[in-house]
Amino acid sequence: MALIRLVIFGFLALSVVYLAIWFYSRSVRREKLEEEWDADHPDGDATERRDFVEQGMVEYQDSFRPKLILLVYVIPAVLVIAALIATNWN
Amino acid sequence: MRYVRITLRTIVIVFFLALFHYVLPQHDIARVTQTEVIRMDFTSLNRIFYAQSDSGTAELATRDIRLIQTVRRKSFLLGFIRREAEGVMVYRNEDTGWIWPPYFKFDSSDLQAAAAANISTPDQEQWVSITHYGWRNRFFTIYPNAIAIRPIEGPDARIIPWFNIFFFIFLVVAGLFVRAMWRQFRERTIDPALADAGEAWDRVEDRASNTKGRVGRWLDSWRSKPRR
Repeated sequence: MALIRLVIFGFLALSVVYLAIWFYSRSVRREKLEEEWDADHPDGDATERRDFVEQGMVEYQDSFRPKLILLVYVIPAVLVIAALIATNWN
Repeated sequence: MRYVRITLRTIVIVFFLALFHYVLPQHDIARVTQTEVIRMDFTSLNRIFYAQSDSGTAELATRDIRLIQTVRRKSFLLGFIRREAEGVMVYRNEDTGWIWPPYFKFDSSDLQAAAAANISTPDQEQWVSITHYGWRNRFFTIYPNAIAIRPIEGPDARIIPWFNIFFFIFLVVAGLFVRAMWRQFRERTIDPALADAGEAWDRVEDRASNTKGRVGRWLDSWRSKPRR
């Protein structure tokens, strides 16, 4: 029972971390795209700028990088197994 | 207000220092002299300083607790400064299981056997490093919980607290990351929203002052004209 409780609450806590990093990562990417456009087109059109940013965000979402955020779940699980072995290894 | 802030901050810092001091592993250099089992009747005072009954067994109000009795080297500053002085120390030996604190210890029976296998006698001293967390307090009758017992060659063996080093590095990195996230959130989400709200407020204020101006002008039109 304690294991189930650990898994459920651990999953909830890590989901909060996952969502926070997901938003942060998207926000940083969007800012970068905006800055890239502004540097290339100092007097660019606002609609084109928006299209460029949205296109970049779609590409980002389909790339491998956002999937790395899933490590938020993997690393703690690995650490728990490592602690389990380190503590109980005889 | 300043004193309130200082007080709150001090309480938070002291709480976290105490929590880390209780929960993080520390290493004692000791000689095991005996192991024993006593029955423990918990009270609400000291119950939270014990773990629960062994993994896979039932939780009752009263149970036996494994103890490891030692003579250990005293130290200053969390063990960083070694001393020649010795004092007795008693450790409990309980499963933490899947529950707090996260040591995932299930092998308290084996640890008791390891303690018994490393008992030190006056003519054959056996030094061990005891990894533990928790506090000893005589008034509440609480003991630190032993996590591991490793034989060492002598009382001067060097022990490096790798876990604590990595833990505090991780803590600093995590703190910087949270700060970066917060700054990004404020810059990209809160500030634009506040700016929008500010602009909206300015518009409302402008309109209000214009309206007042118009009303004022209308009122003025009823005033008597300055005499010529």
